[in-house]
Amino acid sequence: MPYIYADPLRCTGCEVCALVCSFRYFKVLNPKKARIRVVRKEPAIDLVIACRNCDDAPCINSCPRGAIKKTSKGIIVIDEKKCDGCGKCVEACPLDALYIPPGEKTPIKCIVCGACIEMCPVNCLKIAYGSEEALAKRVDYARRIMEKILMSRGYKAS
Amino acid sequence: MEYKGYAGKILWIDLTREKIEAKPFPEDLAERYLGGAGICSRMLYDLIDPRVDPLSPENVLMFATGPLTGTLFPQACRYIVAAKSPLTGIWGEAHAGGHWAPELKLAGYDAIIFLGRASKPVYLWIEDDLVKLKSAERIWGRTVLETDEILKEEHGEDIKVACIGPAGENLVRYAAIMNDRYRAAARSGMGAVMGSKNLKAIAIRGSKDIEVADPEAYMEHVKEWHEKMLSNPFTPSRVKYGTTNLIELMQEIGRLPAYNLRQGVFEEYYKIGGEVIYRKYLVKPVADFACLQRCGRYTAVYNEPYRCMGGGPEYETLCSLGSRCGISNIEAILYGNWLCNNLGLDTVSAGATISWAMECYELGLISKDELDALDLRFGNHEAMIELLHKIAYRKGVGDLLAEGSWRAAKKIGRGTEKYVMHVKGQEIASQDPRAQKSMGLAIAIAARGADHAYGFPVLDEVGFEKEIRERFGPQYLPEIADRLSPKYKGFMVKECEDYMVVIESVGVCKYGTQIPPVFFYEDIAAALRVTCGLKISSKDLRLIGERIVNLNRAFNIRLGITRKDDSLPERLTKVPEPAGPAKGHIVELDQMLDEYYRCRGWDPKTGKPTYEKLASLGLKDVADDLLRRGVIRKSAS
Repeated sequence: MPYIYADPLRCTGCEVCALVCSFRYFKVLNPKKARIRVVRKEPAIDLVIACRNCDDAPCINSCPRGAIKKTSKGIIVIDEKKCDGCGKCVEACPLDALYIPPGEKTPIKCIVCGACIEMCPVNCLKIAYGSEEALAKRVDYARRIMEKILMSRGYKAS
Repeated sequence: MEYKGYAGKILWIDLTREKIEAKPFPEDLAERYLGGAGICSRMLYDLIDPRVDPLSPENVLMFATGPLTGTLFPQACRYIVAAKSPLTGIWGEAHAGGHWAPELKLAGYDAIIFLGRASKPVYLWIEDDLVKLKSAERIWGRTVLETDEILKEEHGEDIKVACIGPAGENLVRYAAIMNDRYRAAARSGMGAVMGSKNLKAIAIRGSKDIEVADPEAYMEHVKEWHEKMLSNPFTPSRVKYGTTNLIELMQEIGRLPAYNLRQGVFEEYYKIGGEVIYRKYLVKPVADFACLQRCGRYTAVYNEPYRCMGGGPEYETLCSLGSRCGISNIEAILYGNWLCNNLGLDTVSAGATISWAMECYELGLISKDELDALDLRFGNHEAMIELLHKIAYRKGVGDLLAEGSWRAAKKIGRGTEKYVMHVKGQEIASQDPRAQKSMGLAIAIAARGADHAYGFPVLDEVGFEKEIRERFGPQYLPEIADRLSPKYKGFMVKECEDYMVVIESVGVCKYGTQIPPVFFYEDIAAALRVTCGLKISSKDLRLIGERIVNLNRAFNIRLGITRKDDSLPERLTKVPEPAGPAKGHIVELDQMLDEYYRCRGWDPKTGKPTYEKLASLGLKDVADDLLRRGVIRKSAS
């Protein structure tokens, strides 16, 4: 299933993607209203989080009003008319990739529109395809590379 | 506030009375001073009594963002922090990027003003409308990285923290304010002012919107700016090296200070430059908020005894802790950089103060006994590292060196004063001006004492001839682009200063606006129009720049600064450069100063702005204030 992905060791954490996203959908600049978010974590990790459009999506199953559906292209969408903002899906999402932004009533999530990809100054964003497990493997791979590069040369986090 | 882009509010924190108030950002201030450096200059001129001791509760500490901070203009991540400086006793200011300043705006505030002194250590916690002073019991005494971690444990991983380290708490006169762990508002001792107020940190979570004035046109402009920035030929080298390869470039033009600025070349430069860092120590480039150039470094040293990992270094640090101290052990320099960040020290003044002590020690002016038995030869990296600890905690000789080289030399005497590389009490940064004359003038004249960044006249550094022609006109070529010629440099530095203070007032970086010179007044005017709805022309912006520089000057002449203070150490004006491409050169300061004052419309004898000049810039109230204090006189006409 398609989703936006970036290598956490290539992403520099500038948050341009988040600003572009909040501007596209809310016409304001506010990373806390973006469907894509960047988590900076020591050491040297900038991890982009956007909805992975899971195969067996917990958000779809959790919605008591049947407001969340998957399109034929594999993108999970929320029907805002049906949604009453109960927040069950937010709880169900393991990545917090779907959330209710400040001042809003219903959740937002990435629908892979690609606006951020075009504006990423590092060119590190891409549309990836695959299941959640496959992604976990990639992230794990990035983590292990990081360990290999840093830790095996003698560095240990204090 | 009718203008978009701004958050629209200024936080007033009275630490003595524990009173917190959010007041509106006055529109006329935005129109006349933009924000950032501009509003700090204006408000602190009015708020700070010139007689106050910089480390007393009466000093006022102000943080300010600009109207473009937190937007999609390239590198729009900056803030200024200003106060009366404990290092120079005059106008003090420091600037930093990172993610902290945008977060302040997202919380709904353009600026914070701190008055008074807390009765016990506190930190400020801001979560949108909730603003609270909280006990700093758990973080006082902690390092910068510890403080950042503890506050994140307390308030959540996503908060942004600006804080001081032990150096600020111990009132080291060149203590920095650190934000986002590794970004430093380093110069002129703002960290010490924060420490003197018993203020350890400002932690923020902001979730409000930054609105733009013209949402229809905005994204088209953003795309244009981004394309312009990313397609600049300088950008790839910034990504690869950050500022570290300036070591190699400055060596090439003989402008790389070595051995306490005795010379502008360092024989072992290749051991501390961009290439070795890229090959052996770089983990990845990191960006500040909305930064397309990502000159920030994340580096790691893998081996003992200097194992460390974190942000930086910049060119300034590589030189100050490296060539300037005769040190070519890159791992020691990287560790020194990490240590300065963690202790909250300005790497420039720290390195310069140590290199001064090194030269005095080698000349026999300071004995080993006075240095806690340290064999402080040039090149002794173990001693350099030990001194950084001692300085931050004011232990042993560190207590003296924490005063800065100028005060330390005054205390010691014995001719050590001759070797202090300072202007107005602040140490000169990593530029040997004998190899770039405009830099000599910029350093001598800058408002916060020795400061390459106030005017930042880097256009003649590596020959931006095309941009020089575009910005200043063809009539000054070729001399203006010749770094070894003093001709037209008074004019050039004046023009650069006016532009740079505008840049610092709107909240964007000097990279992208001055080097590489991608954006100029018209781009800033366009950005202010579509982002804020401010109808300010390029011509108006130039006037605003001039107004701010004159205001900074007024702040300083009120404290007794005159032309005689706009000076350089004799080493730079009398002793010819001993080696390298600039061999034989001195800084022809007087000649450049004459031209500079003339271009400024200031009195060439005293270096003071005239009453008429100030009045013509819309600073009649300031002119009247200076007149009343007897600092300036009205001309006879």
